[in-house]
Amino acid sequence: MSPIARGELTQILRNRLVLVTGFLLPSVSAAFLIHQRELFAGIGGAGYIAAVLVFTVGALGLYSSAVVTLASRRQNLFLKRLRSTATSDAGILTGLLLPITAVSLIQISVLLAVLAVVADAPAHLPLLAAAVLAVMAMMLGLGLATAGLTDSPEHAQITTLPVVLGTIAVAVWVGTTGTGELTALKLLLPGGAAADLAVRAWSGEAAAADVLVRLAPTLAWIALALTLAVRLFRWEPRR
Amino acid sequence: MSTTPVLDVDRLNVAYDGFHAVQNLSFQVRRGELYALLGTNGAGKTSALEVIEGHRKAASGTVRIFGRSPRDRRAVRPRMGIMLQESGFVPDMTVQETVRLIGRLSGRADTAERVLGVVGLTRKAGTRVSQLSGGEKRRLDFATAAYGTPELMILDEPTTGLDVRSRDDLWATVDRLREDGVTIVLTTHYLEEAQERADRIGLMHRGSLHREGTVAELTRALPAEIRFRLPALSPAPPPPAARDGDGRFLIETFDLPQDLYSLLRWARTAGVEPLDLEAGPTRLDDVFRSLTGR
Repeated sequence: MSPIARGELTQILRNRLVLVTGFLLPSVSAAFLIHQRELFAGIGGAGYIAAVLVFTVGALGLYSSAVVTLASRRQNLFLKRLRSTATSDAGILTGLLLPITAVSLIQISVLLAVLAVVADAPAHLPLLAAAVLAVMAMMLGLGLATAGLTDSPEHAQITTLPVVLGTIAVAVWVGTTGTGELTALKLLLPGGAAADLAVRAWSGEAAAADVLVRLAPTLAWIALALTLAVRLFRWEPRR
Repeated sequence: MSTTPVLDVDRLNVAYDGFHAVQNLSFQVRRGELYALLGTNGAGKTSALEVIEGHRKAASGTVRIFGRSPRDRRAVRPRMGIMLQESGFVPDMTVQETVRLIGRLSGRADTAERVLGVVGLTRKAGTRVSQLSGGEKRRLDFATAAYGTPELMILDEPTTGLDVRSRDDLWATVDRLREDGVTIVLTTHYLEEAQERADRIGLMHRGSLHREGTVAELTRALPAEIRFRLPALSPAPPPPAARDGDGRFLIETFDLPQDLYSLLRWARTAGVEPLDLEAGPTRLDDVFRSLTGR
């Protein structure tokens, strides 16, 4: 697994397109949000910025890059090549996705740390960490499932749009309006509960009971995404 | 020496989308053998190989490699090297990085430098895969399969796209591996390669194994041919010579030296000179054509 991960990391550093779309773009977007935080003070504060930031990096950095990586490696039969070795399927996927996951996690950590320094610090760091990890797990699951429907890296520009736009829109909606109204709908939408958890963790409004309520829908989305991934993921191109 | 076959395919059936690609395929490959699995396009050999390589599930039947399922990667892969029909490399990786990565994942011990030397790609070690020619990619593919000298190598059309010299070099490498006791399972469209090198050959057609044996066994069932013309007004040659569709004479024989000698002796006696004389033993191509009816 680790040789695959090392190889993928090298590819990420070599591939300018991946660097720009997967890592630079979300970082710049997040930096813009942090820089313009005063504008958002009235609608959601730092918690809102944190939620949108996590989803921006999660969707653009982790999810999109995961789909592009898997589609690309399948298209040029590299997945089949890896399956010709002694490495297990789980080891192959872990090796391929570990570098982008690690980079995204570092990105989010750095951006949230900057936000904490320039604005308020988060009230419940462990809860924020749980929200971040839940978002990342959901994005990885959705990435695996979407990769099953994606024939090529070019095709990924279309197939990833619904999840990218959808999850960021949900995070923005939940972050700006809260979950006081339409609570069930907002919590059940993909990413809605995790976004709310991030906002509450930052502001300190979250109670222990809320955590379970807000993690459950996210875990359900993760389970659904992984179920879809098992059914949809292909190791070889369509013939 | 163990009598367990290295590869044991037993009543294998492969089907997809309602199409029966392989039907009741059975064959065994013994240790140290070079077994060539040949067939027309669509004969089912790629589907069979995919099951043997562990990339596809069988509809029924079994495949055992060293007595284990080919899907048991941890147990089987360190002992087998697979040269896929299509390369499957990351274009931006260098040749050395590719061999090092696939080699390490194979579970065998070796160095990229040694293997690249074996296939003559040492000078290309730092070159990105995207910049290699088709033939160089095939050699890289072979290098990843040969990494650590596995006990079994699956070579799926190894010489496709190689020029004559590269082809000779690759076969020389295969010969050296065989001297080390490596078992080879080969598919190829170049029948002369199989004829020259295979210990045994399996001929597939429409999903089934139609014939199997050594080259001698396979060709023994078909007669050799002698073809020739005669100048105008020449006397007719004695039977079994008969006219073929092109106005030439054809002798089908199971005793080529004797019948060729008889023909030439008759020609000398009759004072005629056979023109465009062609005579040769039965080739694998002839067996192949008799199988496919083309």
